[in-house]
Amino acid sequence: MKILIIEDEVSLLESMAEYLSAQDYNCIKAATFHEALKASEEAEFDCILLDIGLPDGNGLKILEYLKMDKRKDGIVIISAKNSLDDKIKGLDLGADDYLSKPFHLSELNARVAAIIRRKSFDGINIITINNLTVNTRDKVVLVDEKPVDLTKKEYELLLYFISNKKRLISKEAIAEHLWGKEIGNAFDFIYTHIKNLRKKLIQAGSEDLIKSVYGMGYKFMGE
Amino acid sequence: MKLISKYNRFTMPVIVLILLISGLLFYYILHYILLRQVDKDLRIEQSEIIHFVNEKKSLPETADYKDQKIDFIPSTADHYQENFATIRSKDKQNNNEIEDESFRRFQFLVKVDGKNYIARVTKSQQETEDIVTIISLLTLSIIGVLLVILAFINRIILANVWRPFYNSLEIIRHYKISGEKKINFSRTDIDEFAQMQSDFSLMAEKATNDYRSLKTFTENASHEMQTPLAIIRNKLEIFSQNSELNKKESQLLYSVHAAANRLSKLNESLLLLTKIENDYFINNESVNFSKLLSDYIETIKEPALIQNITINATIDQGVVINMNEPLAEILISNVVSNAFKHNYRDGEMNINLSQKEFRISNTGKEPMFNTEMLIERFQKDSANPDSIGLGLSIVKKITESYGFLLSYLYKNKTHIITILFKN
Repeated sequence: MKILIIEDEVSLLESMAEYLSAQDYNCIKAATFHEALKASEEAEFDCILLDIGLPDGNGLKILEYLKMDKRKDGIVIISAKNSLDDKIKGLDLGADDYLSKPFHLSELNARVAAIIRRKSFDGINIITINNLTVNTRDKVVLVDEKPVDLTKKEYELLLYFISNKKRLISKEAIAEHLWGKEIGNAFDFIYTHIKNLRKKLIQAGSEDLIKSVYGMGYKFMGE
Repeated sequence: MKLISKYNRFTMPVIVLILLISGLLFYYILHYILLRQVDKDLRIEQSEIIHFVNEKKSLPETADYKDQKIDFIPSTADHYQENFATIRSKDKQNNNEIEDESFRRFQFLVKVDGKNYIARVTKSQQETEDIVTIISLLTLSIIGVLLVILAFINRIILANVWRPFYNSLEIIRHYKISGEKKINFSRTDIDEFAQMQSDFSLMAEKATNDYRSLKTFTENASHEMQTPLAIIRNKLEIFSQNSELNKKESQLLYSVHAAANRLSKLNESLLLLTKIENDYFINNESVNFSKLLSDYIETIKEPALIQNITINATIDQGVVINMNEPLAEILISNVVSNAFKHNYRDGEMNINLSQKEFRISNTGKEPMFNTEMLIERFQKDSANPDSIGLGLSIVKKITESYGFLLSYLYKNKTHIITILFKN
């Protein structure tokens, strides 16, 4: 999977590239508008992470060019401004998702994974980990071909884990992903959800894949 | 107290006092002059009597008129000091009404054929008294008329002379330090008012400039802080992936991570606050408040279920408010999530929405600080370290910018927040 990361803040660019590379994505980095334009013209990407506020040009222009060329690359707009105008403009121009800074890398990763899944048509909607199967198109989870009855949040949680395989995901990142920033961290909800999800998966015959790490967060251990 | 009342409170008694004193003086002076006049008349009468006695060698006839009485009393004394006296007599009138009347009596010695008589000439003072009464009444009416005129003049002064003052006051009252409009007073030819206006204009201009630069600074500062904060968070996230970390190191790392998260959220809220203050959200539209609220309640139903918090929502359908939609969303999410965060297990949350008001109440611990301060910035509940206290400040800022009325009350172990919509 090829990802183009466009971000003028080199430190952030490196972090994003490092995190995504660890998920077996092939990351191309661009720190300026011109680099980004050049990179996007040279190759097609499964996903482009596009920071709008570039010093030598507006990132939305790149989006416009891509759409003029009828490119199918998945696009996530990243903006520090948390500005609604950018969000609306970006989504109007055909971006697939919008993420405002600051974000958890695990969240970014989950968004990228979701876009890549959505953009592909052949079989990739089925994720298989050992005897666990997730069909992201029908939102069905199977263990040993038998369906597991998960609530909506439990399903989202599982998908979040699967997108961030073998990575330590902080409790905050999970909470924000499931309930948003305001409520997410109010109480220790995720404990209850993770407990239920684990119980259901184990009862259905799966291994215990979710590991708690020193009270910091959780790790999904499946291959 | 109005300046004019204060002024009147001092001048009115003085004026009344002066009028009363002068009235009294006037009364006595007049009384004295009139008495002298009567006495002079009595002396003329005396000289006429003496003249008559000298010529006719007999006493004139006694007379008894209503206003003048002359009679003679035989006397043995050789010397008699002539004297004036004021006497009061109860005179029987025609209708048997007893009238208290005062007289001036002049007594002197008359010698006729070696016989001594004391002549008594008595003159009625009725006229004098009438004049004095009239003068007194006149003085009193002048006081009355003067007071009425003064009150009237004050009213005119208030309406005209003070008008620039009250106009300026009105302009000052509506002056908003955050507003774009420059203060613009109507011209006045009264020096004091003109001075006040120019001083205030200068002050307002300075305040506005200071306020603007502070706003810009706050916005720039929190904006510039975002990137370093994002870098810290992301680097920590990558660092925490290191599987060789032991428990102690992991926990240290987690503390740093949690603190960076909090700082980042705080900064986000601050940035939002300055953006609202800087009027970033100016596009108003008809917002379906009912729908936004119902949608948001939907998202907290599950967390509420876990905490066993009962949500009672009474939402009138089709409540439409003319405001910026993202701000409406922020308003709702802040108020509702606040009622959720400051609740306790098995608690309750009541949400009511009508075209008139949006009211939300929730069970919760009694606030440890002054409730008026709750809405001010950075007031936080020490028992809940994750709440950063800016939520309600943001709500307040939003309600202020639309002229909604926000009120907070803690009663019967329940926090109640009410937002009265203007339209």
